[in-house]
Amino acid sequence: MKEFKIWLRYTSNSFQQTLSNRTLVAIFITGKTLRIALFLLFLIFLFQGTRGIGGYNRNQIIFFYLSFNFIDTLAQLVFREVYRFRPLVITGELDFVLLKPLNPLIRVLLGGSDVLDLIMLVLIAAATFWFGITHLNTNFPGWILYFLLIANGLMLATAFHIFVLGVGVMTTTVDNLVMIYRDMTSMLRVPVDLYTEPIRAILTFIIPLGIMITFPAKALMGLLSWQMITISVGLAAVLMFLSLKFWSYALKQYSSASS
Amino acid sequence: MHKYIKVFNVSWQNEFTYRLNFILWRIRNLLRFLMTYFLWSGIFIGQRQIFGYSQEQIITYVFLVLIVQTFVTSAPSQDNIGGEIANGDLSNYLLKPVSYIKYWFTRDLASKLFNLFFAVFEITLLWLIFRPAVFFPAQVLSIAGFFLSVTAAVFINYFLSLVARFVTFWTPENTWGIAFVVLVLIEILGGGIFPLDVLPKPAFFALQLTPFPYLVYFPIAIFVGKVTGLYLIQVLLQSYVWVFMLYWVMMKIWQVGLKVYGSEGR
Repeated sequence: MKEFKIWLRYTSNSFQQTLSNRTLVAIFITGKTLRIALFLLFLIFLFQGTRGIGGYNRNQIIFFYLSFNFIDTLAQLVFREVYRFRPLVITGELDFVLLKPLNPLIRVLLGGSDVLDLIMLVLIAAATFWFGITHLNTNFPGWILYFLLIANGLMLATAFHIFVLGVGVMTTTVDNLVMIYRDMTSMLRVPVDLYTEPIRAILTFIIPLGIMITFPAKALMGLLSWQMITISVGLAAVLMFLSLKFWSYALKQYSSASS
Repeated sequence: MHKYIKVFNVSWQNEFTYRLNFILWRIRNLLRFLMTYFLWSGIFIGQRQIFGYSQEQIITYVFLVLIVQTFVTSAPSQDNIGGEIANGDLSNYLLKPVSYIKYWFTRDLASKLFNLFFAVFEITLLWLIFRPAVFFPAQVLSIAGFFLSVTAAVFINYFLSLVARFVTFWTPENTWGIAFVVLVLIEILGGGIFPLDVLPKPAFFALQLTPFPYLVYFPIAIFVGKVTGLYLIQVLLQSYVWVFMLYWVMMKIWQVGLKVYGSEGR
């Protein structure tokens, strides 16, 4: 409960900081909306010249893209502070985080949600659910499964970000690593099935971004077997455990440089 | 001229200083390439032609995007023009006998050549992995047009990015906002993900009235022989009109901006 109150305080402070410059908020929201809308338009135009992509029809491909944006933005909203981690390490200011009577992981992982991401998340969520309900043949259990797999995907995203933080403590290269993670997730703007082996296997089982992004939408469409659902939940639990172990190990290597 | 050669040399060495940073940046470019490559490969399953493009032409397009985008849009890793205006560091440059615009253009060029050098290795590697059937133009005119078009693209990209960053003269707290929007527009409307002529004719025509298609799409369209004859001359003229227009706008903003610049923070 104490951790939740502290997280709320961090989030409130971060929101106020961003909202103090409303022009900037408007510009960034415009940019982010444009990026999504233009790629969406491209997908729509694409289907005027083709019957399907990798066995998926137009509505399915559009839903995969919307669902990708929903999960990606949700992860960015929750873990935005990871993008600001490097200065803490290279200036030695991480010392002050470690000295506080609070799990440092909460501060460096969840301490800076961005209101821009929240605004985008509301817009994208509305578009995703509206499109899924009106353009796909779905049912209530399918949606339950969709949300459960999104929660599972968020657990995977947590594990990835903790891993990035751990590497950041040890090498100070967190900025680049987190951007590589972002670029890898953007490969999943299209379903993972479009990639040939071994890339598909890597994106599903080694760096399971396919499980995180493609699987919820596939489950909603009734295209995912129970075996794959079980594997994805198991993999998320294992990766979460390993990432926490790695974080503990990385903290032991922290040498408080520059402080 | 001599001083800019020195700047070029130092910039080249700078790029080598941050090696890990650079390698990770190139990996990011490769990931983008893979997304586009597999998207198009999936589209061509069971189809020979889409929007007048054969699979060979599209795969050639995707490979050329990696080279053209690398050369046209890459910028120095320490590019912080907006920040220099906002925190007053611009004053250091104004006191020196160098042109700020030429200084950053030299650094831009060094970064482009550095990136291009590595992109050639990547292309070779990708070629060996995927062994794609690639289309090459037979006409010398297409190759000459390609080089002229890429040159225009480099200038358009540089002037456009300066215009976006010079907004900082009026809003020092906003060093990145407009540049972000411009980057998004370049990313999608430049032709880096798809050839722009797959769009409906009115949309494609409207795009030609903006500077974006001249950055990636038209240089490649010229190379693969989609733009030839009189249309080639028209496209080249249009792109150079954009070069001069953006140069004029950028210089105007720079001159007016310097008058409001207060060197705050120094």
